[in-house]
Amino acid sequence: MMSKGRIETIFIASVIAILAVFAVINYAAIMETKGSIAQDSTPVSSSNSEVIHVVGHQWAWTFIYPNGTITENSLVVSVNTPITLVVNSSDVIHDLYIPQMDIQSYAVPGQNNTVSFTPTSTGQFFFECVEYCGEFHYEMRGYLTVVS
Amino acid sequence: MSDYSTLMLTAGVILSLIGIIAFAVYYVIADRKAKLSQMAREQGYQSTSQFYRDFVANRKRRVSWNIFVDNDARSLGLRYLLTSILFFFIAGTFGLGMRLSLTYSVPQTFFTFLTPDAYNILLTEHATLMIYMWAVGSAVGLAYYLLPSHLNLTRDGRGGYTSIAYWIWLSGAILFLLSRSSFRWYLYPPLSLQLSQNGGGLYAWMGILGMIFIFIGLLITAIVVVQIILFDRSKDIKLGKMSLFSWSILDTSLMMIVSIPPILVGLSMLMYDYYDPIFFTAASHNVLMFTILFWWWGHPIVYIAVLPFFGLVYEIIPRFTGTSIYSYRSGVLGLGLLTILSMTVFGHHLLNSGLGVAWDIFFETTSFIVVIPSAITVFNWIATFWQAEKIRLTTPMLFVLNGIIDFIIGGITGVMQIYQPVNQLVHGTYWVTAHFHFIFMGITVGITMAAVYALFPLITGGKTYNVILARVHFYLTAIGSMLMSTAWAIGGFLGMPRAVAGYFSWFQAYQDASIIGGVIIGIGQLIFLVNFAVSWLKEPSTTDDSILEHPVAIPGVEA
Repeated sequence: MMSKGRIETIFIASVIAILAVFAVINYAAIMETKGSIAQDSTPVSSSNSEVIHVVGHQWAWTFIYPNGTITENSLVVSVNTPITLVVNSSDVIHDLYIPQMDIQSYAVPGQNNTVSFTPTSTGQFFFECVEYCGEFHYEMRGYLTVVS
Repeated sequence: MSDYSTLMLTAGVILSLIGIIAFAVYYVIADRKAKLSQMAREQGYQSTSQFYRDFVANRKRRVSWNIFVDNDARSLGLRYLLTSILFFFIAGTFGLGMRLSLTYSVPQTFFTFLTPDAYNILLTEHATLMIYMWAVGSAVGLAYYLLPSHLNLTRDGRGGYTSIAYWIWLSGAILFLLSRSSFRWYLYPPLSLQLSQNGGGLYAWMGILGMIFIFIGLLITAIVVVQIILFDRSKDIKLGKMSLFSWSILDTSLMMIVSIPPILVGLSMLMYDYYDPIFFTAASHNVLMFTILFWWWGHPIVYIAVLPFFGLVYEIIPRFTGTSIYSYRSGVLGLGLLTILSMTVFGHHLLNSGLGVAWDIFFETTSFIVVIPSAITVFNWIATFWQAEKIRLTTPMLFVLNGIIDFIIGGITGVMQIYQPVNQLVHGTYWVTAHFHFIFMGITVGITMAAVYALFPLITGGKTYNVILARVHFYLTAIGSMLMSTAWAIGGFLGMPRAVAGYFSWFQAYQDASIIGGVIIGIGQLIFLVNFAVSWLKEPSTTDDSILEHPVAIPGVEA
C-alpha cells in the first residue's frame, strides 16, 4: 500500500499535467485564431476583408456596410469573404454574439472592438446581445444571412 | 416638483424611517445590555465578555426572539442564519417568478405582472439577495454559531461590532429591495447610471446605496471574525490544530477584507456619478474601468460563497463515515491556495470585452491553475469515502454527496468555458448560469441545509425533524436542480442567452425543462418549511447536543 503523501502527489501531478496540456492547447488556439478575439483597435480597411461597422444601441443593432447601406438587426454577408466587424456602442455596454461563427465582442461606448470571421457555408444564422442592457434587452437579436 | 426634489424628498423620508428604526433597535439592545451587565456584576464578574462566554454563549442557544437583541456569538449566529434563510425564500420566490415569466418565448399579457420590466427587476434582486444575503449570510451565521465550540473561545466581547454590522447589512438589503433596480448584480455603469424605468431603474441610486450598506456590514463582520479566530481562541488550540471549518472561515474572511474595498470605492464613485458624471462615462473615462473594479470583488465572492461550505463538508463527512479526513494537511493547503489563487482570476469574466489578447492569455492560464486546489479538495473528500468502513446515508450526508457530485459537474463546466474558443461560444449564455447553479445549488444551498438538519436538535432544544419529509426535501432539491441546470447547460451551448425576458422560439424545450426543474425545487423548499413547522410543534425528544458542535480529532495532531 502506498503512503498517503505519495497518492496525493501522484494525484496532484496528474491534475497539473492535464491542466498544463489544456493551457498549452488554449495558448496555441488563441495564437491561431487571434482575429476572432475582440480587440480594441480600428483596422485599416484592406481589399480582401469587408469592414462592417456595428453600433449597438438601446435596443437594436445597426450595421453600416462599406458602401454606405445601413440595416437594423439584420446582417447580410457573402460566403468565403473575410468579414471584419468594428463593434461600438452609442449608450451602454452591449455584447454582440454570433454563436455559429464562434465570435463575440463587447460593444463598449467610446471603444472600437474589432473581430473578424469568415463564413464558410451559406444559410441563415442568428446573433444576439448577451450583455444585459435594459428593459428590451431581449429584442436586440436578429439574423445573419450568408449568401453566395 | 422637479425630479431632483422628488428624489431628495424620497431619500429624506427613507433615511428618517431608517433613523427611527435604528433608534428603536438601539434602545432595545442598550436595555438588554444594561440588564446583562447588571447580572454580570451580581455574579461577581469583572468583564462582561467573560460573563457572555460562560453564561450566554456556552449555553445551548435556541431560536427565540432574544437572539435579535443579545450580542453573544451564538445569538448572532442564529440571527444571521435565520435572516439568510428568510432571504433565501424571498430570492427563491423571485427566481421562480423569473422562470414562470419565461413560459412563452415572447412576453405574454397572460402573466400581466411579469412584464420584461418585472423580469429585469427580479433578475437583479434574485442574484444580489441570493449572493449577499443567503450565501454569505448563512456562512457568517454558521461561523458564529459553531466557532465558539470549535475554538473554545476564551472571551466573547466582540458581538457589539457584529451586531451593528448585522443591522447595516440588513438595512442595505431592505434598501436594495425597495429600490426595484434593474441593473443586474454587476451594475455596469452606463446602464446603472440611467435613472429610468427601462434603464437601471427609477431608484437605481437607492440600490447602489443599499449595496454600499451591505458591503460595509460584511466588511465589519469579516474583520471581527478574523479577530475572533486569531485572538479569542483558546491558547491550547494552535492554528495548525484548528478544525478545517475554522480554517475555511478564516480564509473566507481574509478574502472579503482584501476584495471588498475595491468594490466599495467603485460604488462610491458610481454614487458620485449620479450628481456629477465624471468617473464612468464614455466621454471622460473608459467605462470598462468599473467592470474591473467590480470583478476584483465579483470573482472572489463566488469563492466566498462556497469556501465555508467546503469547510462544513470536511466537518460533516467524518461524522457519518466513522473515519477522519484523509489528509488534514492537504485540506488546509487546498483552502489556502483557493484563497490566494482566486484573487488572480477575475479577468476571465471580461475575456471578450476588448481588453486585449495578453489579458485573455494571462487570466485563462491563472484560471487553469485555480482548478488545482479545487481538485485537491474534491480528492480529499473522495479519499475519505474510500477509507470509510461504512457510510451512513443520513439526510445531511445525502446533501453532502449530492453537493460533491454537483460541484464536480459545475467545476468541469466551469473549466471548459475558460478555454478561449469555448468562451466565445458560451459567454453570456445559460451555460454560465448552469455552471454556477450546479455549484450554488449543490454546495451553498445543499450544505447549508445539511448543516441546518445536523444542527436541528441544538437550535430547537432537543426536537427532531421528520426524516421522511427531510428525504423528500432532499430528493426534490437534487432532482429539480439537476434538471434545471442540465437544461440550461444544453440550451446555453446552443446559444440561448441568459438574462433575457424573451427568446427565440426554438429554445422553448430547454426553457420548459428548466421551468419544471425550478418548480420542483420550489416545492422541495416548501416541504422544508412544513418540516420545520411540524417539528417545531413537537415535544423535545432527544438531547440538544449536536454532532457538528465539537470538532473532530485531527489525524496526526494530538488533541
